[in-house]
Amino acid sequence: MFYSTRSKLLAGFLGVTLLVGAVSLFIGVHLIDQNVFGEALNRVQQDLSAANEMYLTRVKQVKTSLSITTLGFAFVSSVSERKTTDLVIRLERMARLAELDFAGIATEDGRTLCRMGPYSFPGPASRGVNPLVKVVLERRVAVSGTMVLDRDALISENPELAERARIPLSPRPEGDAGSAHEESAGMVIAAAVPIFDGDTLVGVLYGGILLNRSEALVDTVRETVFQGETYQERSVGSSTIFLNDVRIATNIYGPDGRRALGTRVSPEVKEYVLDQGKLWADRAYVVSNWYITAYRPIEDIFGHRVGMLYVGVLEEKFARVRAQALKMFILITLAGMLLAAAAGVFIARRITLPIQRLIRASQQVSEGSLNPELGPPANSEIGVLQKAFGEMVAAVGRRRAASELRIIQSEKQASVGRLAAGVAHEINNPLTGVLTYTHMLLRRKDITSDIRSDLQIIAEATERVRKIVKGLLDFSRQTKLDPEAADVNRLVGAAISLVENQALVKGVAINFHPGDNLPLVTLDRSQIQSVIINIIINALDATEPGGHIRIFTAASLSGNGAAQEGIEITFADSGCGITPENLNKLFDPFFTTKGVGQGTGLGLSVSLGIVQRHGGHIRVQSEVGKGSRFFVWLPVDRRAEHESVGG
Amino acid sequence: MRVLVVDDEPIVLKSCRLVLEAEGWEVVSAASVEEALSLLESITPDLLLIDVKMPVHDGMYLMRQVKERKPGIPIIVMSGYPTRETISKAEDLGAAIFLPKPFTPDELADTLRSVAIIKSQDE
Repeated sequence: MFYSTRSKLLAGFLGVTLLVGAVSLFIGVHLIDQNVFGEALNRVQQDLSAANEMYLTRVKQVKTSLSITTLGFAFVSSVSERKTTDLVIRLERMARLAELDFAGIATEDGRTLCRMGPYSFPGPASRGVNPLVKVVLERRVAVSGTMVLDRDALISENPELAERARIPLSPRPEGDAGSAHEESAGMVIAAAVPIFDGDTLVGVLYGGILLNRSEALVDTVRETVFQGETYQERSVGSSTIFLNDVRIATNIYGPDGRRALGTRVSPEVKEYVLDQGKLWADRAYVVSNWYITAYRPIEDIFGHRVGMLYVGVLEEKFARVRAQALKMFILITLAGMLLAAAAGVFIARRITLPIQRLIRASQQVSEGSLNPELGPPANSEIGVLQKAFGEMVAAVGRRRAASELRIIQSEKQASVGRLAAGVAHEINNPLTGVLTYTHMLLRRKDITSDIRSDLQIIAEATERVRKIVKGLLDFSRQTKLDPEAADVNRLVGAAISLVENQALVKGVAINFHPGDNLPLVTLDRSQIQSVIINIIINALDATEPGGHIRIFTAASLSGNGAAQEGIEITFADSGCGITPENLNKLFDPFFTTKGVGQGTGLGLSVSLGIVQRHGGHIRVQSEVGKGSRFFVWLPVDRRAEHESVGG
Repeated sequence: MRVLVVDDEPIVLKSCRLVLEAEGWEVVSAASVEEALSLLESITPDLLLIDVKMPVHDGMYLMRQVKERKPGIPIIVMSGYPTRETISKAEDLGAAIFLPKPFTPDELADTLRSVAIIKSQDE
């Protein structure tokens, strides 16, 4: 309960911080992902273009080397003259220089004249026309590109080639039972160039490279494009040539550490690239690692998609970059959140500290302290609250002091009243006896004069006792008020007329200055009149002959806290005044400064009781030697009849 | 004229007897309400002078009993504690007059005399 505002504030701050943190983390991760991944994809696509360029360059090289060969005069004449032995030597020299796997010469009718390798001179019964040669014969221009040669074609060219082309297939994961267990066809980069002797076509020179198990092209791509970059001892880049969906040349390694020949591409990539002819760029699981990959189809001379070219980059490398970026980002975000939380704690503390001080202060007040520690004033609404609280406590203090005084006064009256009532009641019975017997004795004629005078003294003394007891009873008599609306000016006037004679005798002037337009006051006429008379008689007693008493009436608000409408009657005399020590005892029962037998000391006490029962109060100002002022304040509306004191 | 004085205080009874017999009254006294009630079965006084505060039953109780059994007898109520409440209650119960204690012989005699005169005028 005590810290709930603070914890709510804190929770709010932390909540906002967490939310902002979470959102920025989410966006940040997304952005980093997109950036890193997008960058990788971009790069891999560029790499694929480069690889493709290298592939095409290789095709061009084959074609160029063949073309140059056909330009040699000796070569052309050898072809024209069918000097096959010379030609085979030339072919082998050319193949060695141009790094060709196979080469041969066909006649203008399509038959193979000679070729390099073990079957250099095929007989007339050799198999049909080489498809490449056929195209050249038809178009009479050089042709180059990719081709797929079946096993027979390879064997007729060179059985070694056929053997090299054989690649055992890895079983498909989904267990494609119907498919072959071995790839026996060969994919080649080949070219064929017509040989002209003058304007006469005398033959066709062809040659090419078998791509199956060829490491040269893919490794060159890897070294050139990726510059041999490694990550954790693995090559970052990789390159592969597919025949259909089978890896026939690759530098991706299987779990056994050997090149993953014979493995297949995923069906998705195959469908996308081979069947639909599109470019693939995405992450993909290749053999045993995740790669950022790019695939493009390879078309043969006739425009059929026969394979794919692939480059890929180990995703791990980017994952690490991403992880680092993420780590950095999360750290920064967390630090920000921590900072915000610390700021939150600080601000919450600053906000709640004055509130907690106020709570402690109010606890101090409830424990009785009227001077609680409020701490330094805050310059916010809380400061206003602090100030208001301080003022409230001060007001409570003032009121409590006033009401404490009233309570003490009332309790004094109550206890004295109870005592007086009990004593008076008990005394009155024996007093009846004393009075009766004294007076009965006085009636007798047979007593001497000195006895009579003694009896007279007893009678007078008893009369005094009777008056005292009557005073006590008046004091204790807690009669209920009999209130009615009354004109205070008339009431004061009537009271003055009752004591006028006494004043006249003493030679003291009484001047009444009634206030104008006074509201009617609800009060008990006879009781308030006795109060007025009592105060005037006290003033008379205190004032020497020649002095004066002035009485004013005026509308006035009550002085103690709550502004309540009322009327104040002021009695100002030019008497002897009251000493400060007596001022405090003025309203105590039995307190009197008058001579023995002159007063009971109950008059002011009784008056105060009556005024208090009306909801009013009496104040006194006095200066010794100059006179006293009594202020009797009465409320216009009696809000709550003050309970009778004692009983 | 006969008066029944009821008070638990012997000094008050003796005082009243002294004063009233001197004035020519026949005084019957009772020290409690019970005694007064039993006396009232045999005699009928012209006046009742009763105290308010007495043990067992108080003067107010006695007044109610008298009003029931012997209405028409004027009652004077005396008390050493003459509060406004006590006076008005006594008057409500039909007291002829309220006499506060202490009183001088003259006050007592005058009070009884005036009540007796009012009674005789009523009759």
